Amino acid sequence: MLAKVVSFGLKGVDGYKVDIETDVSNGLPRFEIVGLADTAIKEAKERVRSGIKNSAFEYPTKRITVNLAPADMKKEGAIYDLGIAVGILSCNFDYGIKREKEFAYIGELSFDGSVKKVKGVLPLLISARKLGFKKFIIPKENLIEASFITGIEVYGVQSLIETVKFLTGEINIEPVKPCKFEEISSKQVYSLDFSHVKGQKQAKRALEIAAAGGHNLLMIGPPGSGKSMLAKCFPSILPDMTFEEALEVTKIHSIAGELDLKKGIVCTRPFRSPHHTASTVSLTGGGSNSKPGEISLAHNGVLFLDEFPEYSRQTIETLRQPLEDGVITVARSNATITYPANFMLIASMNPCPCGNYGSKDRECKCSPSQINKYLSKLSGPIMDRIDIHIEVDNVTYEQLKSQSEEESSAEIKKRVDKARERQLERFKNDKNYSNAKMSAVQTKKYCKLDEAGEELLKNAFERLKLSARAHDRLLRVARTIADLEGKESIEAKHIAEAISYRTLDRKYF
Amino acid sequence: MSEKQLLIYFLSQFDLAPNKVEEILNGLNGNFTFSALSKLKLDKIVSAVMAEKILERAEERYAKIYLENLEAIQIKLICKYDEDFPKKLLAIDDGPFFLFYKGDISLANLKSVAIVGTRLPSNYGRMITEKFAKTLANAGLVIISGLAYGIDSIAHRQALNQNGKTIAVLGSGLNNIYPADHSDLAREIAEKGLLISEYCPSAKATRYSFPTRNRIIAGLCDGVLITEAGIKSGTLYTRDYALDYGKEMFAVPGNIDSDKSALPNEIICSGQGMGVRSAEDILKVLHVENVAKKEKKKVQSLTIDEQAIYSQLADGAKSLEELEKNCNMSMSDLNSCLTMLELRGIISRMPGGVFCLC
Repeated sequence: MLAKVVSFGLKGVDGYKVDIETDVSNGLPRFEIVGLADTAIKEAKERVRSGIKNSAFEYPTKRITVNLAPADMKKEGAIYDLGIAVGILSCNFDYGIKREKEFAYIGELSFDGSVKKVKGVLPLLISARKLGFKKFIIPKENLIEASFITGIEVYGVQSLIETVKFLTGEINIEPVKPCKFEEISSKQVYSLDFSHVKGQKQAKRALEIAAAGGHNLLMIGPPGSGKSMLAKCFPSILPDMTFEEALEVTKIHSIAGELDLKKGIVCTRPFRSPHHTASTVSLTGGGSNSKPGEISLAHNGVLFLDEFPEYSRQTIETLRQPLEDGVITVARSNATITYPANFMLIASMNPCPCGNYGSKDRECKCSPSQINKYLSKLSGPIMDRIDIHIEVDNVTYEQLKSQSEEESSAEIKKRVDKARERQLERFKNDKNYSNAKMSAVQTKKYCKLDEAGEELLKNAFERLKLSARAHDRLLRVARTIADLEGKESIEAKHIAEAISYRTLDRKYF
Repeated sequence: MSEKQLLIYFLSQFDLAPNKVEEILNGLNGNFTFSALSKLKLDKIVSAVMAEKILERAEERYAKIYLENLEAIQIKLICKYDEDFPKKLLAIDDGPFFLFYKGDISLANLKSVAIVGTRLPSNYGRMITEKFAKTLANAGLVIISGLAYGIDSIAHRQALNQNGKTIAVLGSGLNNIYPADHSDLAREIAEKGLLISEYCPSAKATRYSFPTRNRIIAGLCDGVLITEAGIKSGTLYTRDYALDYGKEMFAVPGNIDSDKSALPNEIICSGQGMGVRSAEDILKVLHVENVAKKEKKKVQSLTIDEQAIYSQLADGAKSLEELEKNCNMSMSDLNSCLTMLELRGIISRMPGGVFCLC
C-alpha cells in the first residue's frame, strides 16, 4: 500500500516542498525512513509509533518505509511527524481517510498523540503559498502566526485523532480567520521611552539623526553613563514597521524559535544585544544546522553591541559585509544560505580600558599605549561604516533628580517619520530607502553643497585632520540633518553639526 | 673628508657614551688613523664585546659605507668638533658627542623653551599646554620637546599649527620613531623643524634612553616649562638637569589635589622655579616681545549665539551639557556653532566633550 502526502522543509528562510511517501507492505515488521533525514527525523519512528498506538489506532505490524523526497536535500527537525503518521494511517482503509491529499502537513507528534508546535511555520507557509498550495494542517499553537497570511486556508489541530476525524469528514474544523496586521501593530508599545532618560541631550539628538537617516552610531563614554539605556530606548523612535517588514522579521524569528506564539507576529522593531563573548557563528548564523544569527534576528531593527572593543576581532570584522549589503551569506558544508541582515548598528564603548579617560571627576589610570591598543581593536573598515560617533558623559545627580519634562519618544518619532518620508520621496526611483545607504554616485547627486558649505568642509578637513573616508559620511549625515529640518539643500550649519559627530576621527594623543 | 673626520664619525655607530669616545680619541695621541685605532687597547676603555665589534669594522672603507648609508636615509650626522654643533650643548659637561638629525640644525642655537610633562594630561593640562605653546611659538621661540604622548606631542603640534619652529629630541634612533604612532608628527617636524637623536638611527628606545634624552632637552633650551607632571614622572630628570645647567624653570600651578599637577606645584613651592600664569610671564623672563595681540578682533565678528558661547567659555572650560543649559540653545544649533568656532580656531574641543577657549 502506498500513500503520498505533502509537507514542507526549510532551507534558510525559504521553504521547499517535501513529498512524504509511505509504503506499507508485507514482510518482517520494520520501520525505515529514507531521504537524508537527520537524527530528529530518524527518531520520528518512535514518536509516530507511540503516537498512533496511544491514539487508539492500530499500528501495522508490517514493513513500513517512508521516503522524504527530494532525496538529495538534507532535512531537519520534527515537522514531518504529522505527515508521516497521516501517511501510515491512510494506508489502512479501515479508517476511511480520503482527503489526505488535499492538505499539506506540518507538526510534531507527542507520544500521547497530541500535535505540538514547531518552528518556522510562517516562512514555510509563505513559500508554500508561492508554490501554489492552499490548504494546510498545522499545530493549533502555531495558528496565530499563520493567521497573517492571506489567500490560504489553515486548519489548526491539537491531536492525531482530531486530524484523522477531520480527514474522514467526521468533524469539521474552521480555517483560521485572517488577522489584520494594522490592528495588532497599532496596539504595540515599547517598554522604554526617551522621556525616562534624564539629560543626555547630545546623545538623544544624535540618536534622532541616526534613526532618521538609518545611520550606524557609536557611543563613547565612561561606565554608568547610560549608554545601554539610551540604546534600549532607540527602537521606540524608529519608524513603524510595514507589514512586509514585519513578515520578514517574523519569518526569521519563527525559524529561530524566538517567536512569541501568542502574538504570532513581530510588530515592534527587534532589539538584539548579544554579549561580547558571543561566538562569531552565533552572530552571523550558520552552524551545523544552519540557524539565523543575532544579526539576522536584528533584521529591520537594532543590533546593539555593548563594550564594542571587547568583542573578538574576528567577530567585529564579520559585520563588515552585512553592514554593506544588508544580507549575510553563510556557506557550510551542507548548504550555502543567505539570511537577511539589514540592521542598524548601535555600538558603545568606554574611552579607555579603565573607562575614565576624559571624565570630569574621575582620573584615568591607563597608559597611552593601553588606550591605543584598546582603540585599535576597531579597524578602519569597521569605523568606516559607522557614521556618527558621540561622547556620552555621566549624568549629574541634579540632572537625575530634576523635575523637568523630557521629550517623549512619540514626539521625536514624529520628526523622524517626516525625515523618512522625504527620503522615500527622494529615493523612489532608486533601490535605497535611507540616506545612510546612499552610494557614492547618489551622494554626489543629492548632497550638493553651497559655497559656504564647501569652504567649511575644506576648512574642517585641514584643521581637524579628518580622514578622507569621513568625507562622504559627513555629507550623508548632513543630508539627514537637513531632512530633519525640512530643508531641500544642505547648509553650512548642517555640515557643521555633522562634523561635531566625528569624535573618533580626531587624534587626542 | 679627512681620515680624522672619518674616524670620528665612524665611532658614532656604536652608541658609545660621550666620555668613552673622548677616551678613545685621547688614546690615539693625535694619530687619528684607522691603523692606530686597531692597535689601541680598546678593551681597557670599553667592554670586550664592544671592542671586538669596533675592531672588526675599523677600516676606512667600512666607515665610508656607513656614512653613505646614513646619507641614503637622509640622516645627517654632526659631532662636537663641527662648527654647526649646537653651542648650548657644548656648554654642558655631559653633552652628547654625536648628534643624528633631520631638518634645520641651526634652530638649536635659537632662543627656545622646552615644554615637557605627563604622557596622559588632564583636560586642564591639555588646554594650558596648547595655550602656552601657541603664544610662545607665535612670539618666535623654538618649542623643544620629546615627541612622547601627551604634553610633548601637544606642544609640537601647536608649534607646527602656528607655523612656529619646533625641535623634537628622541630617546630612540631616527629610523625607529617611538612611539610609532607619532611617525607622521616626526616627519612633519623633520620637514619644518628639527628632529634630533643621540642614538644611531636603528637604535631602539630603552627605559634608560629617555632620562639621557632629557638632558639634551634641558641642555638645548633656555627655559623649561612644566605644565603637568606627576611627582614620580620622567619629567623629574628634565627638571634636575635643567636646574643643574642653570636654565630657567617655569611651572604652571594646578589644583593642589591633582596628582598631575604635583610636580609643577612642588617646583613652585620649593622655589626651584617660577610659577607662571600665562606665556607672557615666560616671555618677560626670557626678554622676548609678544607680537600677537589680535584676540579682541575675533570676538567682534561673532554671531549672537557664538558670543553667548564665547562668554560662557571665558569663565573656564565647559562640557556640552553645561553649555546647553546655560546658553539656552537647541542641541543642533549648539553643535553647529561649536564646530564653527572650533574651525575658526577660537575654541578647542577636548576628550569627554569638553570645550575651552584657545
